[in-house]
Amino acid sequence: MHRRESIPVTIVSGFLGAGKTTLLNRILNSDHGLRMAVMVNDFGAINIDSQLIVSQTQTTVSLANGCICCTVESDLIEQMGRLLDNRENRPEYIVIEASGVSNPVKIASTLRYPQFRNALHIDSILTVVDAAQFESLEGDMAQLAMEQLDAADIIVLNKIDQVSPQQVDALRSRWLYPNVRLLQAVECDVPLELVLGVERFKSAQTFRPVNAAAPSVKTPSVTDHSALFASWSWRSDKPLSLKALRQTLASLPADIYRAKGVCNLVEVADKRCVLHLVGSRSEIKPQDTWRGTSPYSEFIVIGTHGAIDPANLQAAFDQCVA
Amino acid sequence: MAKSDQYLSSNIAGAIGAAELVLFNGRIYTVNEQQPWVEAVAIKHGRFVAVGSYADVQPLIGERTRVLDLNGRFAMPGLYDMHTHPDLALAPGYSGDLNIGLDDPTPEQVKQAVLDYAAANPGEGWIYGQYFVRYTFKQAGLGADREWLDSFMPDRPVAILDRSWGCMMVNSKALELAGIDADTMDPRHGYIERDSVTGVPNGILVDGAYALIHAAMPPTPQHALQRAYREGVQFQSGHGVVGTKYVHVCEHRLNALKAIDQAGELTVRVEAAISWQDDIFPVKRRWELLAGERHFYRSARLNANAVKFHFDGTHESRSSYLSSVWPGETSWRGHLNLTPEHISDMVVDMDRKGVRVIAHCTGDGASDLFLDAVAEARRRNGDSGVRHQCAHSTTLLDANLERFAQLQVTAEFSPVGWFPSSFANARTVFGEERMQRAYNFKGVLDAGGVAVMGTDWPVSSINPWIGFEAMITRENPFGSEEGSFYGNPITLEQAIRVMTINGAWCMGMEDKAGSIEVGKSADLIVLDRDLFARSAKGNIHDTQVQLTLLEGEVMWDRQGEFNNTDHAAVWQGELPNF
Repeated sequence: MHRRESIPVTIVSGFLGAGKTTLLNRILNSDHGLRMAVMVNDFGAINIDSQLIVSQTQTTVSLANGCICCTVESDLIEQMGRLLDNRENRPEYIVIEASGVSNPVKIASTLRYPQFRNALHIDSILTVVDAAQFESLEGDMAQLAMEQLDAADIIVLNKIDQVSPQQVDALRSRWLYPNVRLLQAVECDVPLELVLGVERFKSAQTFRPVNAAAPSVKTPSVTDHSALFASWSWRSDKPLSLKALRQTLASLPADIYRAKGVCNLVEVADKRCVLHLVGSRSEIKPQDTWRGTSPYSEFIVIGTHGAIDPANLQAAFDQCVA
Repeated sequence: MAKSDQYLSSNIAGAIGAAELVLFNGRIYTVNEQQPWVEAVAIKHGRFVAVGSYADVQPLIGERTRVLDLNGRFAMPGLYDMHTHPDLALAPGYSGDLNIGLDDPTPEQVKQAVLDYAAANPGEGWIYGQYFVRYTFKQAGLGADREWLDSFMPDRPVAILDRSWGCMMVNSKALELAGIDADTMDPRHGYIERDSVTGVPNGILVDGAYALIHAAMPPTPQHALQRAYREGVQFQSGHGVVGTKYVHVCEHRLNALKAIDQAGELTVRVEAAISWQDDIFPVKRRWELLAGERHFYRSARLNANAVKFHFDGTHESRSSYLSSVWPGETSWRGHLNLTPEHISDMVVDMDRKGVRVIAHCTGDGASDLFLDAVAEARRRNGDSGVRHQCAHSTTLLDANLERFAQLQVTAEFSPVGWFPSSFANARTVFGEERMQRAYNFKGVLDAGGVAVMGTDWPVSSINPWIGFEAMITRENPFGSEEGSFYGNPITLEQAIRVMTINGAWCMGMEDKAGSIEVGKSADLIVLDRDLFARSAKGNIHDTQVQLTLLEGEVMWDRQGEFNNTDHAAVWQGELPNF
C-alpha cells in the first residue's frame, strides 16, 4: 500500500482574549490553497463567508475550497483518528486551537503517540500572548501561562501597540527564556509563511533572497511582510557533523524563525537526513537513502532582514563541515 | 479474623443458652421474603439466634446479655461493595516519596531537593516523586533530561514527575534498571522521548511510558499499603459495608491485608482478586498465588480466591470492545487486551481450581465473549459452583441478559455512570442506541440474574450510598444536574437486594449472610433514617450509619452506644474524609 503523506499540524494556544481567534481567522481566510481542517473551540467567533459554506452540521462546516472547520471534541485521539480515516477528504493541513485554559503540551504529547507517528507531524506550536494583560498573571494562571510558553515554538506577542518598550522588557525578563522566538504583532498580523509550514507559501518565493536577484512580484495578503523577512540558503557537498550542526542550530540568532533542508551527516552516512526548524525547536531525522545520487546538504533559513547576515551565517554553517 | 477463637463446627454447637447481644424496638427490614419486617434480633457466637418480635428474643436474654433499645430506628443487613480499590486511591500518597513542595521550583531547587532526599534516605534506592516544571528549565537555559539528572545523581535511580503530570524525567540509572534503551518499543498511549537521529532515550517519558519505570521500581511499601487498607475498611465500616472486593492485588497487598486482619482491624469481609495482568502493578508471585499460596491468607474476613483481568479498555480511549463498530467509525470496535482463546482457556482453568474470574468488560462485545468463555467452562467442568463476575458491564447486549442467570454470572455495575454528571455524560460516546441500555440493572434482574454494585473507587466515590440512591432514581443525588440518566431505574426493594443479599451471592455466601435470618451471620446496620419513609431522591445518598455489626461484633459505633462494654466498637469517632 502506498504510504500517505504525513499531515503537518499547527497548534495555536493562548489565553482567552489574547488573539487566537484573530490568528485563526487570518489562517482560514488566507490564500493557502490547501484542504485544511481547522479545529476551533467556538464557531461563533470565526468569520466564515456564508457564500463559501457548502454544508454545515452542529460541529462541522465544510467550505467550497475543500477546507473544513470543526469544533474540538473532548476526545482528541478519537477525533484525529476520524479525520485521518476520512479517505475522500483527508486534510492536507490541520490547525488545532487549544482551549484558553488548557495545556497545549497535552495536545502535542497525544499527537506524538505511536499511533499517529506516521500519519501526522507537528509543524509548529504557536502561543499568542496579550502583551498588556500578561504581566499581571499570578497563581494557577501563571502556571498555565508557563505551560503554554513551554509548549511554544514561536510566541506571538500580540497587541504590541498597547504597551511601552519598557513593558515588553519587563515581560521578557519575567517570562521568557534565552533565545525565545518572538513575533511582535498588532491584531495578530504575522507572516503566515513563518507560522505555518505550508509549501504553497514557499519561503524562497515569498521572501527576497538576500543573496539573489529581486523577488517575483506577489500580491501581499494583508501587510507586505516580504519587506521585513528574508531568506538565505547554504549548500555543501561535504558531510557534516551532527553535533556541530545541532550547536549551530541552537545558537542561530533569535530572529530566525524557520529553517529546512536535507543534510548529509557523517554519523548517518547511508541516509538522507531532513532538518526542520521552527522557532526554538529543531529536529534532524534520518529519512531515506540517497538512491544513487551524490550526498549533499542544503538548507534554507528564514528570518528578519537584520538576522540574515550572510557572512555570519556562512561562517556558522561552514563550521558544521566535519 | 474474628476477635475471639470461638469457632463453631459440627459437634461444637454455639447457639445454646443466652444471647450475647439483643437489639429490640427496631424497624428492621430483613431482606427475607418470608419475614420482611421484624422488631428484634438476638445474636450469639456471631449468628442470629432469634429474629422476630420482642417476645421471640426475650427468652434469650440472660444475665450477661447486652440489650440495646433501637428506639424505633431503621435497620437492615449490611451492604456489599463488590469492586473497589483503596490501595490504588490512597497508598501512593502514603509512600514517603520525594515531595519538592514548591509551586514553581527552579532546576536548582529540584536538584537540592533530590540531594536532600538522597541524604535523608541513604543507600541505592529509588528517588521517586514530584514535581519539576519543564518551563523553568527553559528559562534557565537547561535541558530537562537524563544528562541533567546524571550531572548530580549518576548512581541512584531518579524519577520525577512533571507538575502537570504530562511527563516523567528519569536519569540514566533509572533507564538502565527499567531496561529502556534505543530498541525499546513505545507503549501505545505514550512514548519515550529520544534523540531524533540515534533513537537513544533522553530521559523524558510521556504518559503511558511511565509504566515502564513503575515496573522497575520496588513495590509500594507495606506501611503505605496497610494504612490505605486500614483507612479503607474504616470508611467502609462507617458507611455500613460488611462485604467488599478489592479487585487487583499482588503478594504485597495480600500481606498488608493479612497484617490488618491479624490485628483485628479487617472490619469488612474482603475478597481480594489477584491481578492476571501486570498493567497496574507487577505481580511477581502470580502463579504461586493462583496455584495455592492464596490459601495462606484465608480467614473468615479474607480470601484471595479470585482473579481479576482487563478484558477490554475504556470509553475514554474508545477501547471498550463493542459488538458492532463505534459511532462514526467504519471498522473500529475497540480493543481486547487478550485473545478470546486466552480468556476461554483461563476461565476453564480457574473455574476448575475454584477461583472466581472477575472480568473487566465495559463494552457489550467483551461481555459477550466473557459469557461465552464461562459457557465453555460450564460445558467442560460441569457446575463448579464458582460464580464468575462481569465487572462494570457498562453496556450489555439484550440477548445476554438471561445468560447471567443461566451461567450463574454476576453482573456488576459501577455507579459513577448512572446519574447525570460530567463523568456519566462522558460515556455517551457509546452512542444513543447503546446508552439506552446502559447500566442495565433492571434487565439483568428481570431475567432472573444477580446484579451488584461496585464503587470502583477512585473512579467514583467509595461511599456506597450515592450509587444506592441513584440506581433507584437515575438522577443526580446532589441536585447539581437536572434530569435523569439513560437506563431504567429499579425499585427500593430491588436496590436493597442488590446492595445486600446479591452481594453475598456474589461472594458465594448467600446461605450464610446477606439477610437477617436465624442461623446467618449477624451482619446488620442501624441507620439515622428509614429508607422507606421518604422518596429516594436526595434522601438516601447522605444516609448516616449509626451502627455496623459484622458477625455479631460492633465494627462501627457512631454515637458510642457500646462504649465501656464488651461490645465496644473497633471504629468510632471521626471517619477518614476521602
